[in-house]
Amino acid sequence: MTQTLSAPYTVALEGRAVARLDQVSKRFGQTQALDGVSLEVRPGELLALLGPNGAGKSTAISLLSGLRRPDSGTVQLFGLDPQEPKARVSLGVTPQETGLPGELRVYEVLDYVQAYYPSPMPRAELLGRFGLEGLERRQCGGLSGGQKRCLAVALAFAGNPKLVILDEPTTGLDVEARRSLWEGVRRYQAEGGTVLLTTHYLEEAEALASRVVVIDHGRVIAEGTVGEIKARVGLRQVRFCAAEVPDLTGVSKLERENGTITLYTPDSDAVVRQLVQKNVPFSDLEVQSVSLEEAFVALTGSR
Amino acid sequence: MNLILAQYKASVLSLSRNPGYFIGSIVFPAIFFLFFAPSSVKTPFEANFVMGSFMIFAMMGALLFGFAVGIAQDRASPWAVYERTLPGSPLTRLVSRILNGFTFAISAVIVMAVVAHLTTPAHLSLAAWGRLALALVAGAIPLSLLGFTIGYFASPKGAGTLAQLFYLPLSFLGGLWVPPQNLPEVVQKISQFTPTRHWGEVVWPAVTGQAWKAQDFLSLAVFTVIFGALAIWGYRRDQGQRFS
Repeated sequence: MTQTLSAPYTVALEGRAVARLDQVSKRFGQTQALDGVSLEVRPGELLALLGPNGAGKSTAISLLSGLRRPDSGTVQLFGLDPQEPKARVSLGVTPQETGLPGELRVYEVLDYVQAYYPSPMPRAELLGRFGLEGLERRQCGGLSGGQKRCLAVALAFAGNPKLVILDEPTTGLDVEARRSLWEGVRRYQAEGGTVLLTTHYLEEAEALASRVVVIDHGRVIAEGTVGEIKARVGLRQVRFCAAEVPDLTGVSKLERENGTITLYTPDSDAVVRQLVQKNVPFSDLEVQSVSLEEAFVALTGSR
Repeated sequence: MNLILAQYKASVLSLSRNPGYFIGSIVFPAIFFLFFAPSSVKTPFEANFVMGSFMIFAMMGALLFGFAVGIAQDRASPWAVYERTLPGSPLTRLVSRILNGFTFAISAVIVMAVVAHLTTPAHLSLAAWGRLALALVAGAIPLSLLGFTIGYFASPKGAGTLAQLFYLPLSFLGGLWVPPQNLPEVVQKISQFTPTRHWGEVVWPAVTGQAWKAQDFLSLAVFTVIFGALAIWGYRRDQGQRFS
């Protein structure tokens, strides 16, 4: 495979979506994984696809990377059907690091993957960027978990892609490894690359994304800047004991159980301030951040 | 073409570092030959006959296990899913897989030839080698397709066991260990319906200098059609499950 995108083609692409889902639905047996989803990845942006586990993120990615076909709607990658190999020449995807071929050495894996691309990134540069120097001759099976992840991420960049799709890239990584991976992604974007990232960490979207699309139950439920999204799904849980609660502003959901009040709010400080100002006789106050999964339960009451 | 070579290189490297496959498909048949043949064959005719039988045995093992286990493992492997996102067609992957399987099968045959020449009076003319090569390939095709079928239907753990369930009985029933005329009478009847028997019936004339019978090639062709149809069915079913 040595097709490259011709120059006029690349020019025509300027300013247009790098990847696009248009009214896409996909069902697996009883599960409606995607239900009329439309989204666009624009050149040069870092779009985070945010949602709890099972929301449909992975299905969206498998459609964009040509692994599956939609039941209805259209999927485009660089203006082509992602099932066509030439549509994927400028796409980079990460493998699951548990699947790396254990018997092959790091440089053998890189040689193999780079053989697919017309102008791959020089091997030394790739190794340097992702902290893999000195590991070329190690067998993949003998790498540590963190090293495997670095190699898996490096493979997404091996072919000098214009669009990189990172599926939950930092799940299970320690803080330091996460920061260095974020650094690599920022650098690629600064050089003009486009990134589509899926995550169920709001924090990760906050650190990297220029735009966020939130999906749940196979539907797009919100789209906007990180700040806008955070106000909607970045909830805190405030819990205290009190007999009565007056009306409070900024509360997304309130539950009562045996004199214990649990409420969800994007701004816990403001809620606590109101409790004090209104002289609510509360005790045992607790404030906790809420995972994205819990936030969705609080917002939609459906999980 | 470069892509096929790169895939081929990676898969050969990977398999050659897998001692289970390497020993099972190349070393084991040769050891098996050493147990049986050198003490029992006396003439070059007998030696050639047994060498032919064991070349089938060796080649079949490498192909059956290579394809069955390789495909079943790929079907469950996240790496194979990643490979589908790379800009290549699944067809090149198929071509490199076939090249890979035949590389190990031919290696197993060469090892067998060397062992037979060192330990028995086996000897073939150049023309006989040519006929032998043709006969080996003729039978390798249906047995490869049987391996593909197992690979597309079995789980990664079940594929090796299932291949084993075909490998040893087919070898015995086909007359690869004991010549067909020395098999028990019941077994001789069943033998007619195995692909290995007909594979033997095209290999044995090649190594003993007799004429081929068209019906044996025809039987191999029938097995090719049957196993080919099953393999295509399995392939489509698998693609539908994983990539639709």
